Amino acid sequence: MTITTDVRHAVVAKGLAKIYGQGDAAVHALRGVDVSFATGAFTAIMGPSGSGKSTLMHCLAGLDTVTEGSVAIGDVEITRLSDKQLTLLRRERVGFVFQAFNLLPTLTAEQNIRLPLEIAGRQADQVLFDRVIDTVGLRDRLSHKPSELSGGQQQRVAVARALISKPNVIFADEPTGNLDSRSGAEVLAFLRRSVRELGQTIVMVTHDPGAASYADRVVFLRDGLLVTELTDPTPQSVLDTLLKLEA
Amino acid sequence: MLRTTLAGLRAHKLRLLLTSLAIALGVGFIAGTFVLTDTIEVGFRQKFTADAAKIDVAVRPADDPAISAEVLAKIRKVPGVVEAQGMLSGPAPLLGRDGKAAGNYPTTGISVMTGQLNRLTLTGGVAPAKPDEAILDDNTAKTRQFAVGDTITVLDQKNVKHEFTLVGLFDTGVDQQLASSGAVGFTTETARLMTGAKGFDRVDVVGTEDPARLRDAVASALGAGFQVKTGDQLADELAAQSKVEIGYLTLLLLLFGLVAMFVSALVIYNTFNILVAQRTREMALLRCIGATRTQIFGSILLESAVVGVLSSGIGLLLGLGLGAGAMAVMEALDGPVPAGAAIALTPRTIVFSVLIGLLVTIGAALLPARAATRVAPVAALRSQVEEQSFKTGVVRIVFAGLFLLAGAGLTTAGITSIEGDLALIVLMGGGGVFFLGVLIISPVIMRPLAAFVGWLPRRLFGVPGKLAVDNARRNPRRAATTTVALTIGVALMTLISVITATTRATVKTQLDEQFPVDYMISDQRGSEAGVPRAVADALRQSPEIGSVMQMRVTNAPVAASDPGTDPGTGEATVGNIPSVPDFRPKAASGSFDRLEPGTVALVDYLAREWNRKVGDTIQVKTTEAGTVTLTIVATFDGRTSDQAPVSVPEKEFDRYFGPLDDTRVFVNAKDGVAPEVARRAVEAVAQPYPTALVMSSTELRGEFDDALDMMLMIFGGLLGLAILISILGIANTLSLSVHERTHESALLRALGLTRPQLRRMLSLEALLLGLIGALVGICLGTVYGWAAMQTFPFEIQFRAPVGQILSFLALSGLAGVLAALLPARRASRASIVGALASV
Ligand SMILES: Nc1ncnc2c1ncn2[C@@H]1O[C@H](COP(=O)(O)OP(=O)(O)OP(=O)(O)O)[C@@H](O)[C@H]1O
Ligand SMILES: [Mg+2]
Repeated sequence: MTITTDVRHAVVAKGLAKIYGQGDAAVHALRGVDVSFATGAFTAIMGPSGSGKSTLMHCLAGLDTVTEGSVAIGDVEITRLSDKQLTLLRRERVGFVFQAFNLLPTLTAEQNIRLPLEIAGRQADQVLFDRVIDTVGLRDRLSHKPSELSGGQQQRVAVARALISKPNVIFADEPTGNLDSRSGAEVLAFLRRSVRELGQTIVMVTHDPGAASYADRVVFLRDGLLVTELTDPTPQSVLDTLLKLEA
Repeated sequence: MLRTTLAGLRAHKLRLLLTSLAIALGVGFIAGTFVLTDTIEVGFRQKFTADAAKIDVAVRPADDPAISAEVLAKIRKVPGVVEAQGMLSGPAPLLGRDGKAAGNYPTTGISVMTGQLNRLTLTGGVAPAKPDEAILDDNTAKTRQFAVGDTITVLDQKNVKHEFTLVGLFDTGVDQQLASSGAVGFTTETARLMTGAKGFDRVDVVGTEDPARLRDAVASALGAGFQVKTGDQLADELAAQSKVEIGYLTLLLLLFGLVAMFVSALVIYNTFNILVAQRTREMALLRCIGATRTQIFGSILLESAVVGVLSSGIGLLLGLGLGAGAMAVMEALDGPVPAGAAIALTPRTIVFSVLIGLLVTIGAALLPARAATRVAPVAALRSQVEEQSFKTGVVRIVFAGLFLLAGAGLTTAGITSIEGDLALIVLMGGGGVFFLGVLIISPVIMRPLAAFVGWLPRRLFGVPGKLAVDNARRNPRRAATTTVALTIGVALMTLISVITATTRATVKTQLDEQFPVDYMISDQRGSEAGVPRAVADALRQSPEIGSVMQMRVTNAPVAASDPGTDPGTGEATVGNIPSVPDFRPKAASGSFDRLEPGTVALVDYLAREWNRKVGDTIQVKTTEAGTVTLTIVATFDGRTSDQAPVSVPEKEFDRYFGPLDDTRVFVNAKDGVAPEVARRAVEAVAQPYPTALVMSSTELRGEFDDALDMMLMIFGGLLGLAILISILGIANTLSLSVHERTHESALLRALGLTRPQLRRMLSLEALLLGLIGALVGICLGTVYGWAAMQTFPFEIQFRAPVGQILSFLALSGLAGVLAALLPARRASRASIVGALASV
């Protein structure tokens, strides 16, 4: 089965299954997930702990292999790519923001931001760079090393880095998980602005109904299956859905 | 606590093994040294004891040079003596199949004792029983292609040829001198005739009585002037002598072993430092749940003790293998070692090896263990492990400065104001102290050095290059210890190669000055025997020969006393000044042009000693012209000239001492004559004189070059171990760093760094470490090589063998890259998701 995305979808997954281990120890982390993420939209993935959120994200981003099913990013079917092709694809089309340890400690903030472009051997779009830096509000921190930045600033640097290479999609796994609510809100607001103003596609895994409410749409996972979704969520509606799921 | 430590060790088996290997190699070298030297020593003792068992009493001359036949007869008459035989040896040149004396030195003729007293090990045939029978050592027989049954020709002391039937072959055993000269054995009487020995070197006695009583009986019969010993005493004495000689070998090898151990200590120190840094959180957690500082300290020490015991054990086994291997190699090369000796593993070897392995490991872990106790429990709560920051401390700078200054001071003192062996020792001390200074300052200079060495990779290799340089710079203390370990080996290698190159160049210049000729002819038996003058005369007739110079020397009483008085008995070597001007040395004062009857040229050191200058006189007691008073017309430098210290005009020499044979004949080929042609001409002239040895200057240099190359190779091999250990250190540091940066690597991979790029990044980092270590080592080695040569009391032609040194640099870089292979592979294989999850 081959699938492609149309212009309206940045990422499409069909029949995605992931099994860890074998025999008795086998864990069915994903049991056949069909999901697509609209271009220029901010989508949140939610679900109880162990429901397969991180696994889904890793499979979508080409960081991990899938057991069954297929994933397309842009017009490329990624499940059949070699490691080398996947790496090149990540360079060009995917951005990442992780929960922690996003930055290389030896590089300054600016060097960290430019790193993906340098790896790809591309020139930074200076206009975009300035715009991103100003949006993130990091101009006076550019020459600082990560250890000299606060957790929120570090995450913002990570977001800026993800934005700078204009990827088809940015995957963020609990980007605010380690932050207090105020820095968390700053980062989330920034993510939403980059969707609105820069037309960026973002897929974010989160535990926090408040964080999820920044998204345009929330998809809910349980036991490796996509169970429901919300559009234009509010913290309250997300919370209600979650409670229903866990019941 | 104990269980936690052991569980931790089990969880990291590979790391444990890698760490242990560093120490194990060092311990192995030391254990191997002991095993080898003990084996040789025990072998020698067994051989001596076995020999001595055949003798009851041995008599050796104490004051006299030899034991006469009368004394032997006297010994035979002592009651209780059953048998007594004399033993003698002396030069007895064997002629090769080409009719020329074999080898550069005359074969040694020895007497073969008969019956119970015979100690030679025959490897074929029988012992000589008749005057026209002889035996050869098997090595000489092989190289000169003689077999039992052949006829061999040997010259007696008057150069008369004698033919013998070769009836047997024997092994020279542990006798180094016989092994190198080659030996031919005769019946005692024939040996005496051939060698012209004045008497026996030793008389061996068997008797019916108890050896001690027989010894006393013989001693009282002979009176003073002889050493009389029982066989057992003789064996003890010989064993003690060989023990001293082996002691030097042990000392030399141990020196290299200690260097290796020091490097191992650095590697261990670094490893534990990194481990402690990486386990900060783990240890903080332990502190949180109630572990005391002492327990933390103890657990690190316990870990090091386990590593120490394990590596000492492996080291001991390694040493056993190394010792046995070295022994086998020496036997295979026919070295003067007791054949078939059982490999000796003494309790001392075991105790010493285990102890040093344990002490070094625990000692090296002490500082890191102390650092571990400083981890505050609160560190467990910090989310991000802090980058180890390094600030250049004032204390460090001050200490480094003190060490560097003291080292430089000692070094300068060694070069400028101290003379002789002490200078070299002071210099070595200075080098050691200076090196400690470098060790202390190295974290400070690591960043600039990495920037300097990394300049090219940074530009050449894109992102991996940049990241590699950053990584090499990020933890200067770690990088410093890792590279300094390599610095030691490379510095010593460079030192040795600078010293050999300088020696080579210096000797070449000296040879060119002292031996400005194409060929030299001398007698194989050395300066006491001569080359007949007919040789020089014939050479002058030869159309291929340009110039010929005859050098004659003799010993005569010479003194700087007042004219007319007797010069006494103080002898000096008197020689002739060549009449051909191109063979003359340069005059330091005066001039050789004024040489005429009644004048003399004096070497500078005698002139100084006697307080004589040009114009003064000295007395020489001649054999033909009585005591003559000679006026000094020139002095010359004794270090750059081969000229006899007291030199008189050629004609005068003959008048003073008669027509002596030439000691040496120097020959220059005519211009334009090909070397092979000239050589053939010289050899044709020398052919009728079997012991006239023709040497070309290229041969002489070649021999010297070979010896130097051999030395370079042996020292290189011995230092190779220290270098190998430091490479292990690089591998260890790198794999620990890779482990530490698992998350970073995963991040880079997620951002689009390919596997090869990640591998390249790590290889480049290792390359940088290797290059930095080598670079510092090369600088130190070159400077100290130069300094060491300055302590010698003659003019030096300093040479730094650039090609060789560059190859050290390249090899170090390459070794670094090789060391990175495994860690890099592991890092690039790791799954991104797995690595992201772990922390
Ligand atoms: N490497 C692995 N090996 C085996 N099982 C795994 C592995 N990674 C995840 N799992 C299992 O797969 C399931 C889904 O894990 P996943 O990490 O995707 O959950 P999650 O929704 O991200 O949870 P959380 O909210 O706690 O982060 C879990 O049951 C987990 O135990
Ligand atoms: Mg997760």
